[in-house]
Amino acid sequence: MLSSLVLALSTAALADEKAADDCLKTKIWEGYNTGWAVRTATSATLAKGEHRIYLVTLYAGNEYKIMACGDTAVTNVDLVLYDALGNELARDGHQDREPVLSYKASATDTFYIAVHATALLGAATSGGVATAVTYK
Amino acid sequence: MLSSLIVTLVLAGCSDAEKPPEPPKEEPQVEVAPKLDAAALAAAAENIALVPSPAEMQRALEKNGIQAGLSAMVPERKLKMDIENKDVIAVRTGVVLADALLTVKDAPKEKLVERLAAVKAGVAALGAGGDIGAVIDDLTARITNDSVSRDDLVKELDEMHGAIIPELKYEAGERCVPLIQAGSWLAGSNLVAAALSTANNTSAATELLRQPQVADYFLKYVAAEGEGKAPDEVIKQLDGTLKKLKEIASKPSLTIDDVNEVKAQTDAVLGLL
Repeated sequence: MLSSLVLALSTAALADEKAADDCLKTKIWEGYNTGWAVRTATSATLAKGEHRIYLVTLYAGNEYKIMACGDTAVTNVDLVLYDALGNELARDGHQDREPVLSYKASATDTFYIAVHATALLGAATSGGVATAVTYK
Repeated sequence: MLSSLIVTLVLAGCSDAEKPPEPPKEEPQVEVAPKLDAAALAAAAENIALVPSPAEMQRALEKNGIQAGLSAMVPERKLKMDIENKDVIAVRTGVVLADALLTVKDAPKEKLVERLAAVKAGVAALGAGGDIGAVIDDLTARITNDSVSRDDLVKELDEMHGAIIPELKYEAGERCVPLIQAGSWLAGSNLVAAALSTANNTSAATELLRQPQVADYFLKYVAAEGEGKAPDEVIKQLDGTLKKLKEIASKPSLTIDDVNEVKAQTDAVLGLL
């Protein structure tokens, strides 16, 4: 009984991330048609107010587009880009679940990408959020 | 005239005063991501997106005008994939993957086919040969028939690289991903250093080789996972090389001596494979 419950819960969590992944994959494939390629795509299950931080190396001269997709349980996802010292460089704080940030680094360096699940739908306790770093 | 205006205004004021007060409008609740400080960012950071792919390195090279003649700078590598140690196969696969991706624009046809065959063998040895093997076979046929342009090939190899990492993660386990990345990054840095040294281009060196966090990431990985997984002399050489690369990459700007040192250090590690 317990194992079935655990299995059901884990399946639900994966299903959330799968929906977010599918949304992101669509954007990635659209991007390929316009010259964008993918560094990394990853997903996570986040509770309201939770975030994930990803360390990235960005090359000077390359253009970067950072995208995220929340599943239907997530009503707002925000993306924030910081430099290595913690200075905020860019933010997509729009009230939606598919934020996008564009950035062109003036020097090759390390940056932080913060992905926040800032709002969830009704009684949802968590939602899937997929994030990709693309470049051209 | 003035008095009627005053009366009108007073009446208007009175009539407003008689209206019941409107209930306060409910502002939609706006949730805003909090600003995080450097300590919080560093403490929570995951390294999953830290290492640039060889294809990304290739684009950065192109944008810095360093593209011509790269293929000829790749040394002859005879990296066997039919061995037992999967960690070594993963690093070797990363190396040949970088060789193929970084030289796709100017490699002679037969060389490119040879490099792709090495990628296919590595991926297969790691247990993920099926789909990727078929993609490589298709690419190889089109390269041989001259039915794909080099520009399109860059895109197709890029897509293939995007598929290789998740598939290997699934088939061969999470552990092989940093090893493939390490192989690609070392081979890529080696080739970039060779090209920069030949071109005597120090401004591009600062843009292309300044990645101390990447060196640090691999250093920590070697310290945590390396012991017992490879001969001691390999671990020692790798540790020394990564420390030196981190030191060089931490400089605000690189000199040609730094570039040559990157080349020598990465040559030494790649020679152990």
